[in-house]
Amino acid sequence: MAAVVSTDTVKVTINGVEIEVPKGELIVESVKRLGLEIPIFCYHPRMKPVGMCRMCLVEVGFKQPDGSVRMMPKPQAGCTLPASDNMVVLTDTEAIHRDRKGVLEFLLINHPLDCPICDRGGECPLQNNTLSYGPSTSRFIEMKRHAHKAFPLSQYVTLDLERCIQCGRCVRFTEEISGDSQLAFRFRGASMQPATYQLTDFESKFSGNVIEICPVGALTNAKYRFRARPWDLETKPGICTVTPCGTNVWFDYRAGKFIRLNGRTNEEVNEEWTADRTKFGHDFYNSPNRLKAPNLRTETGFKGAGWSDVYAEILAHFEGKGSEVGVITEANLSNEDLFMLQKLFRKGFASQNIDHRLSGGWQSFEERLENKLGLNTVQTTIAELENVPASLVFATSLADEQPMTFLRLRKGWFQNGTKVISATSHPTEVDQFAHVILRYKPGTEARLAAGLAHASGAALEGLEKFNPEATEQATGVPANLIREAGEILREAGARILTTHSLLTTSEGSVACEILAGLAHKAGHKFSCLGLKANTAGAKELGLLPDTLPGGIKNSNPGKDTRQMLEDAARGKLKALWLVNCDPLTDFPDRDLAEKALENVEFLVVQHHQAIEACEYASVVLPMTLPAEQDGTFTSSERRVQRMAPVLSAPGEAKASWRIFAELLLRIQPSTPPFGPKDVMEEISREVPTFAGVNYGALDGPGVLIAQPELGEPNLNSLGGTLSKV
Amino acid sequence: MSDLIQLGAVNERPKAPRGEDLQLKFSEKAIAQLDALKAHYPEEKACILPGLWIAQREYGGTLTAEAIAEVAHRLHRSYAEVEGVATFYSMYNTAHAVGAHMIEVCTCLSCHVCGAYRVADYLKEKLGVGFGETTPDGLFTLHEVECLNACDRAPLLQVGDQYYGPVGPAEIDALLEKLRTSPPTVTQLADEIVKVHLKAEEPR
Repeated sequence: MAAVVSTDTVKVTINGVEIEVPKGELIVESVKRLGLEIPIFCYHPRMKPVGMCRMCLVEVGFKQPDGSVRMMPKPQAGCTLPASDNMVVLTDTEAIHRDRKGVLEFLLINHPLDCPICDRGGECPLQNNTLSYGPSTSRFIEMKRHAHKAFPLSQYVTLDLERCIQCGRCVRFTEEISGDSQLAFRFRGASMQPATYQLTDFESKFSGNVIEICPVGALTNAKYRFRARPWDLETKPGICTVTPCGTNVWFDYRAGKFIRLNGRTNEEVNEEWTADRTKFGHDFYNSPNRLKAPNLRTETGFKGAGWSDVYAEILAHFEGKGSEVGVITEANLSNEDLFMLQKLFRKGFASQNIDHRLSGGWQSFEERLENKLGLNTVQTTIAELENVPASLVFATSLADEQPMTFLRLRKGWFQNGTKVISATSHPTEVDQFAHVILRYKPGTEARLAAGLAHASGAALEGLEKFNPEATEQATGVPANLIREAGEILREAGARILTTHSLLTTSEGSVACEILAGLAHKAGHKFSCLGLKANTAGAKELGLLPDTLPGGIKNSNPGKDTRQMLEDAARGKLKALWLVNCDPLTDFPDRDLAEKALENVEFLVVQHHQAIEACEYASVVLPMTLPAEQDGTFTSSERRVQRMAPVLSAPGEAKASWRIFAELLLRIQPSTPPFGPKDVMEEISREVPTFAGVNYGALDGPGVLIAQPELGEPNLNSLGGTLSKV
Repeated sequence: MSDLIQLGAVNERPKAPRGEDLQLKFSEKAIAQLDALKAHYPEEKACILPGLWIAQREYGGTLTAEAIAEVAHRLHRSYAEVEGVATFYSMYNTAHAVGAHMIEVCTCLSCHVCGAYRVADYLKEKLGVGFGETTPDGLFTLHEVECLNACDRAPLLQVGDQYYGPVGPAEIDALLEKLRTSPPTVTQLADEIVKVHLKAEEPR
């Protein structure tokens, strides 16, 4: 709770230096302004102070009118002490040093000091503070408390109770930040244990964070246990490419092998938290099934081949075939990869059959909000959710699909009282703090959206029939709850959040339009967020059959994923390229996908691991993973962030952009891009929204790309849509 | 804490029950009392302690895992939070199932000097159980407690909300005989405490 609302300042004297600090700021924070340090365990800047560990003791006094200083008789905990005028703080006196020694001696009474085999050893605040401030020996010669070691709270988090110093950081995290309150202190005194109810599974979707904030080795990472020592690890900054939020992380690796992930601070995106999907979801870097060399199918099976042979084979089947060839990818490639991919197909193969949408939501150019209503699809950022009067979460399990958006939304509610409306067909984590919960029957999204628009008084054409009672009939949501939600949405400035999973429902795209229209009329902001690491980039860079880079309409549209697979199943599509995707597992209709892969004449599978689709492939190409190549990703809030290479690529695997660039060079001899930096320069030249984005500008929190230039919003067509619902 | 889990072993932690799977046991009176108590406080969190007393009465004197889950469910708190509160306080019986009567022997200084352990040994022998154990017939649970703040009556026993002291073998025999036929004092105590929280016009 470092944020202080008041702008008043007070004068505080710290170790003889007078400084001005915001009134009410905690002394433990004020001290940092002078570059001094107070040792801490339980205090965490993002959580409420509790004063449990007593490590941050300082001497405090007040200047008297006669100029003398009257000290308090006892030391005070700096983490719970707000700064006030004329305060005098001493952090470096003999008494304080003695007190710190005493506190540490107490904390170490029951601490096992098994540092040599502890995962935390080397990066442990208790170790560091003991070294800097602690006593050299202990007077405690009795038996230490013993408890079972390595108790698995969940498949990710292991509890070593002996090491716990009962600071309560993990308990407060689940209570204040992630909100599931799954950890609590059970029992008391020496037998106190931070654990789940009846030691059941710790099922939080953000459980990995408690490992990072634990100031000792009590909560350790089950996947990382005993796999490395911190001083053997090398680390580099990166971003998560599993979730769409662009979570900033540290990639820890050892001898070229990925070991673990930790959260990296980016106030605009994830603060310092990670979702479990991020923290434990990058195992594929070490998969034994990684593809290491290109393979060509021969009569006897797959045979290893050189890149040039493979390129020749691919060109023989793709070049000059126009609309008879196509590519399906998924939006978890970097901007540079995706841009070169569409360039290869459009310029090199003269084919418009390009799509990045595998699991549904195949909206055409005309159906998209930008082109139909003249409204942007993503109007909000993650950080702004902290300070909004109200938010509507519509048809998404936000903690799963948008973990960092969820945490920020919850922070807004927890700290600033955002009123949250949760409208989902099934219970989600948002319900725990929602002001109104609207549980509708699946498949009635558009009618509920219209009902909400009606109840909030948005002047949209064709809304008349969606009064709360009629909406209750249609959706099963009680009319009084719809009215209550409508009341909340009458005040301007709310955020309406949904995700692309809404588009895969039967009424989804209509609901999306209505919500966007409602937001426009009532002065709210609307976002339909993507689900993959680079969905926003793929859309912007034209990885769509009917849209060119920059959101320009393609006058000669190609086929979308479903049409391509249907054509392939009928043998009409001669060659298909799958980039980093597996239609057999991710396409909703597996039968069609199987038939398509069987019947297509020539199938290129480009992936980082041996997937099921490889069985059908004519050519298998190994590609690198994001942390093995340079590239940028556009997160769902349209933030471009750089993923610099951390690991080296296995075997002969190549970065995707390089594969596409090398093929394009064989078709059209020209100066190729020498690196992703050159590709990004080309992107920023050709795609207006990316103007100004270059690798030099991507240090720090990343760059939000511009919104596309749209004309006046045109909500006329909404009336017609509404009348059809 | 369960057995040490070997590295690499499959983690099979049981899952906490979901709200809809709970076997709710509160009587109508208990629900009415809980609703009345909720209105005393600005938020439901504040009602955890009285809620646990109601549960201790409804579940026959012991706060089982199910009882804790029910309180959490009815107050919209997490199970862990309510369990943390319940296991903190010693008058909530969470450690093991208690009998109908809980006999608490004070063994602090004054009682100790006046022969508290002789009283305790007599009780142990007579009931055939040690401290923290319950007789097989489910009638008596014996406990050792810290100072009960009635040193003038040492050595002292507490049963329910009644103090008995000074006690010797004869008084203990008479007390046990009386308790054998009286209604359970553990639930009585819980009921008394719930009633202390309730106002006169609320369902008692």
